[in-house]
Amino acid sequence: MQKFQVTFLPDNLTVSVDKDKTILSAAISAGIYINSTCGGDGICGKCRVVVNKGEVTSQPNGIITALDKKANIYLACLTSIQSDLEVIIPESSRLNFDKLTPGELEERLSGLYSKAEDIWTQDEKIGEKVFKHSPFVTKIYLDLPKPTLEDNLSDLERLYRALRRFEAFPVIQTGLFNIRQLGQLLRDYEWKVTVTLGKRNNTVEIVLIEPKDTTGNNFGLSFDIGTTTISGQLINLNSNKILGTKAAYNQQAAFGGDVITRIVHAAKPDGLKHLHNAVSDTMNQIIRELVLEHNVDLNDVNCMVCSGNTTMIHLLLNMDPAHIRREPYVATANFLPVLRAAEADININSRGLLYCVPGVSSYVGGDTTSGVLSSGIYQKDQPCILIDIGTNGEIVLGNKEFLVACAASAGPAFEGSGVTSGMRASSGAIQKISINKGDFNVKYSTIGDKKPCGICGSGYIDLLSEMLDAGIIDKSGKIKAECSRIRQSDSGLEFVICFGNKTESGRDIVINEADIENLKRSKGAIYSAASILVKHLGLDFTCIHKFYIAGGFGTYLDIDKAIKIGLLPDMERSKFVFIGNSSLAGSRQVLLSAQAMSLADKLASKITYFELSVDPAYMEEYSQALFFPHTDLAKFPTVKFNG
Amino acid sequence: METQLALEKWPHEISTVIIGAKNEHGGSRSHSIEIGGQKSLPLLFKEGVIPNKPKIAFEVWDIAPVDWDSELVSAYGKSIKDPFAWVDKCVNDFKAELLCLKMQGAHPDSGDKGAEESAKFVSELLSRTGVPLIIIGCENDVKDNLIMPLISEAAKKERCLIGCAVQDNYKTLAASALADGHTIIAQSPIDINIAKQLNILISDIGLAFERIVMDPTIGSLGYGLEYAYSIMERARLAALSGDKSLASPFICFVGQEAWKAKEAKASANQGIIWEVITASSLIQSGADLLVMRHPKAIEKVNNFIEMLYKG
Repeated sequence: MQKFQVTFLPDNLTVSVDKDKTILSAAISAGIYINSTCGGDGICGKCRVVVNKGEVTSQPNGIITALDKKANIYLACLTSIQSDLEVIIPESSRLNFDKLTPGELEERLSGLYSKAEDIWTQDEKIGEKVFKHSPFVTKIYLDLPKPTLEDNLSDLERLYRALRRFEAFPVIQTGLFNIRQLGQLLRDYEWKVTVTLGKRNNTVEIVLIEPKDTTGNNFGLSFDIGTTTISGQLINLNSNKILGTKAAYNQQAAFGGDVITRIVHAAKPDGLKHLHNAVSDTMNQIIRELVLEHNVDLNDVNCMVCSGNTTMIHLLLNMDPAHIRREPYVATANFLPVLRAAEADININSRGLLYCVPGVSSYVGGDTTSGVLSSGIYQKDQPCILIDIGTNGEIVLGNKEFLVACAASAGPAFEGSGVTSGMRASSGAIQKISINKGDFNVKYSTIGDKKPCGICGSGYIDLLSEMLDAGIIDKSGKIKAECSRIRQSDSGLEFVICFGNKTESGRDIVINEADIENLKRSKGAIYSAASILVKHLGLDFTCIHKFYIAGGFGTYLDIDKAIKIGLLPDMERSKFVFIGNSSLAGSRQVLLSAQAMSLADKLASKITYFELSVDPAYMEEYSQALFFPHTDLAKFPTVKFNG
Repeated sequence: METQLALEKWPHEISTVIIGAKNEHGGSRSHSIEIGGQKSLPLLFKEGVIPNKPKIAFEVWDIAPVDWDSELVSAYGKSIKDPFAWVDKCVNDFKAELLCLKMQGAHPDSGDKGAEESAKFVSELLSRTGVPLIIIGCENDVKDNLIMPLISEAAKKERCLIGCAVQDNYKTLAASALADGHTIIAQSPIDINIAKQLNILISDIGLAFERIVMDPTIGSLGYGLEYAYSIMERARLAALSGDKSLASPFICFVGQEAWKAKEAKASANQGIIWEVITASSLIQSGADLLVMRHPKAIEKVNNFIEMLYKG
């Protein structure tokens, strides 16, 4: 196919693109974000560009005036490339993202937590092969019979006729954008085109019609949008292969650590915009790094599925979350239709689809639905429990007959945030620790066997348990021992795990008494929520058949140690299954299977929400859990410390 | 027809704590005091054994108190100026069987006596009297950590009850009690969970639950008495049901709380009444040991106890 060079000014970026591609898609390939609220339908008129040099063809529309035409102004989405081009993208046509001054951009992108990092997840394959492969977006190559006097169906009906041979689609919808260019496209490319079909609830939409066979390039993204951490995965939709997984701290953290402070911030002038930009920036950053690393053209990323708590989804879609916080705590929407990613300012193919896994209630979101889906507790005979050790600490109890969920506000400590040397489960994170009882020497191992950079959640679980065992801290979490690794800090005494001469940054990796207090509150919140939920249903932990533990813990989680610190109930160790990021896995299942997508809908309506704060026993249960392992030692019969 | 009482049978009991070691146990006390050991809620004699009556300790200081009400001061007369004479008066005139010595003189604001001086005072007091002792610090954590180890050592083997260990400062005191054979007061701020946690932390250091007496922190009549009452009741119910970490006897600092009330100072005799009512209410919620100030109040409460325990 003929290729042309398109240079964008003032960025001075040049990309090589196929003839007939739109300027909008060329800009996306160049990594320039053009405002396109309508997603390339030629309606919003926001993607105005100036063609300086070269030839283009443009579809007629009511937005570009005669005066505009004289000034060589075109709509990027309706203008296709016919020669080498020089295109000026005015400031007003760029996404907010680029409107920022370099200083602001720097702050927003590399502020507290900068780039996305590769993460290691426990078992990339959970839930694989459970559902039939039928991805959210499918590409089909069609070699249409040319029309004749006898076979004189219209172009669009001809296309539909060919499509019906593949699958029985109930309804097919097509955007005017696609229909307008259809006639020319089919004839220019000898009736050989690739149709991208997307599921929009119970209908199927023709998302895109491209020349020739591009079926090999069909990619999708699955996302877990957490309050603290956002994880994204790039997936080849044809082969189901996960190309890469990355995570970054949610840049919204700058506006508050929990959903409530975020909702409060959203009510301030421009607050919602800040929060929306922060989450879309973080996601775009992850997407950009994934596609660059895996050599995928952004135009070939056609869809994405997101799971997040209700507030995160509101913020992603720029919806006001105010009523989530006010009695009677009602969200704007728990079940959302399929949207265009561009409407949420996410940069993939400008017509690419976005689906958010439905949530249960204002405080139990789609991430929990995804967790239920990927853990499979909805099909068990015996009651099982799913504990997500994250900032909102969702817990689901149930089996194939019933599902009840609650949320414990656990805080981000086990995600490595809000603790002195905390970090995500990414390269260089200490995840395994043992401490010698006599001289308090520390042995550790890091993810990827790199120089240590910090401690991740599973590292903290190991660390607390080992410190208790070695007698460095007492059961209330106060440091009681004395040695060269223990010293005074601004936040009480601290224990040095690794001295600066061995770390990546040159700074000591430490844990102080304030960190321990933080972790103690987190684990207390999760344990007590699980315990209240179980009691509320008239059960106790011994009735639970399996405990599925989810969370961004990397590849390793020592269940025994998690029990020793009182994070998890003291039950037979064989009942525990660590399943990694269950929300991300659920997103992926929905992305890859229509079956999973409709099941997620059913599950979200089936799960009953239980409000912890109305249970008077919760506070008491919580304060009892603020001890290692618990104030009621009888609940942890197998836990013994040597220290 | 005779009414049948519905009786609760408790599976567990409160631990027995002994204060004061006689000769045969390596100490020099003339007698020892036993508290706790009951297998029932307070005063429900039919439910289970209640082997020991509540005991009262006279509160004395190592210096002459400056802020005590004139009614209290006049009850002890001149002797209150001299700690040894004060102790003698309690023992000889008021037949005190147990003393609670507060080392107020070590407080930075009340003389700032050094550790050695304080320890010397305690040894001398022990040699002058055979009555078992409760010894509490000056309620300044830093200073207590300096004086209490030496005081504890000076009273070695006398099996004193020393205090008060709190959640943020229990290690030094617990280690001293362990080394010198004393028992310890674990003080919690009207919070059953902290009470429990503190008992576990102290037992982790090696001091058995049987060597811990709990101070739940009380308020006097009109000043939160009912909060203390219900915390004590809850702890007792848990202990009798089997929670070993709460099965320690209670000590209540009645005198210091009652005499803080402005009503106690309002007119003659009212302070005594305030102290008596606070003490007698707490006895009914399970107090095993009461630290009191006015000799008349002590006499009345002792009579009250005799009456309750007459059978």
